[in-house]
Amino acid sequence: MGFLSEVLGNLGIGEQQALMFALLLPFFPLLLIVNRRIRERGRPPLRPIPGYAELQEYLGEATESGRSAHVSMGTGGIGTGATAESLAALNVLEHVAAQAAATGLDVVATVSDPSLWPVAQDVVREARVAQGYPESNDPGCVRFVSSDKVAYAAGVMDILGHEDVSCNVMVGSFGDEFLLISEVGARNGLRQVGGTTSPQILPFVYPSMDQTLIGEEIFAAGAYLLGKTSHLASLAVQDWLRSAIILTILIGILVRSLA
Amino acid sequence: MRRIGRAVSVGLRRSLPMAMAMAIGSLMLLDFFFDEAHINALGGFFLESTVIIVAFALLLGLLNVLTVHLRRIIKREGGWIYSIALVSIALIVIIAGIPGPESAGVTWIFDHIQFPLQAATFSLLAFFVATAAYRGLRVRSLEALAFVLTAVIVLIGQVPVGRYLGEFVPALKDWILNVPSTAGVRGIIIGVALGTIATGVRVLMGFDRPYTSERDSTQ
Repeated sequence: MGFLSEVLGNLGIGEQQALMFALLLPFFPLLLIVNRRIRERGRPPLRPIPGYAELQEYLGEATESGRSAHVSMGTGGIGTGATAESLAALNVLEHVAAQAAATGLDVVATVSDPSLWPVAQDVVREARVAQGYPESNDPGCVRFVSSDKVAYAAGVMDILGHEDVSCNVMVGSFGDEFLLISEVGARNGLRQVGGTTSPQILPFVYPSMDQTLIGEEIFAAGAYLLGKTSHLASLAVQDWLRSAIILTILIGILVRSLA
Repeated sequence: MRRIGRAVSVGLRRSLPMAMAMAIGSLMLLDFFFDEAHINALGGFFLESTVIIVAFALLLGLLNVLTVHLRRIIKREGGWIYSIALVSIALIVIIAGIPGPESAGVTWIFDHIQFPLQAATFSLLAFFVATAAYRGLRVRSLEALAFVLTAVIVLIGQVPVGRYLGEFVPALKDWILNVPSTAGVRGIIIGVALGTIATGVRVLMGFDRPYTSERDSTQ
């Protein structure tokens, strides 16, 4: 171990960074292998996530009622610490936008970080182009509200309270402002699906949302909603690495207990 | 000739952004793991560039806000009066900020309007927590029952009256917070970490391309 620490020290890598490297490195080859296997053998079975299953129903209800769907992509952005959550929110938006373009449902998407706005705009526009309705693209359907979290919450609360919204989807990085937004939705009787990665905010999500996406479930949107092969492959790799971590923890407990 | 040119153009439009994303992403990863002067310098340069790009994105965001609300005003859509207020206030703050972000006007606006409004809006959280808790305490399923029981035990264990009921109440509260709750939080954190790594690796390897119109190369 001393030799390993010396080698790592010479390379300028700390012990914690080395552990992170050890977790990161297997991802690359495993993702390639599993991705190829899925393309050859077909889609693997996935456990049901009620949040994604019910989302389809809520979007259908919104379409039938002639009202709109709102997608909140959180207060994170591209290039921030919440980039992964923001990319997960983009996957959800891509699905909602595709459904909306196919059925004529109105979508309002709101962002708090301006770096996310052009990407979200592009996602919605591409969905309409893919469905053959490029002329129906409305630049005002993706709105930058405010980079201040409280102002963002106030803006979204106004949208949920005064615009004709039937379904509210909140996926991404959120703080306490989640509850401000979700409570307005709950009080107005909106059908709500929400998820975030912060354990401090999840207790707000559960009571105020009809369906909850807990932690990493938001990263599964690409697999469940869009059926993307690479996302299915990364779910499998995540499962394997999670099993390896659990095994390591159990072995560590045994070694410590017996030593 | 035209066909070749078009093919080259399409190829560049697809591969160039992906190549840039993969190269710069890999560089930033190396910068994180290795302490080397040249890599550090390049990594620092790209991080500073991000700040500049975000500043331009903020301008785009402001234009979007003005576009949405000006359209609402022109078409007299619902709430257009409030849109007038928003646009007017935005212009006032922009003009007040011309001398600089630390100017007297901007400081006054933030100290006397922005921060009090933020505090007032966040104060609603206390009441919203109560209504959310009331809604969450309706026992609709086994999960909700566990939620309710846990909430009741922890609530009673936190207040002094819990100790009068018996020493086991605060002890049970401590056990719930230290064992199953912490275990659940750690499980969520591990899962989120793996999900975050997976998202980053997909972008690094070019499977996910949020920066182009062709989002996934392996649909």
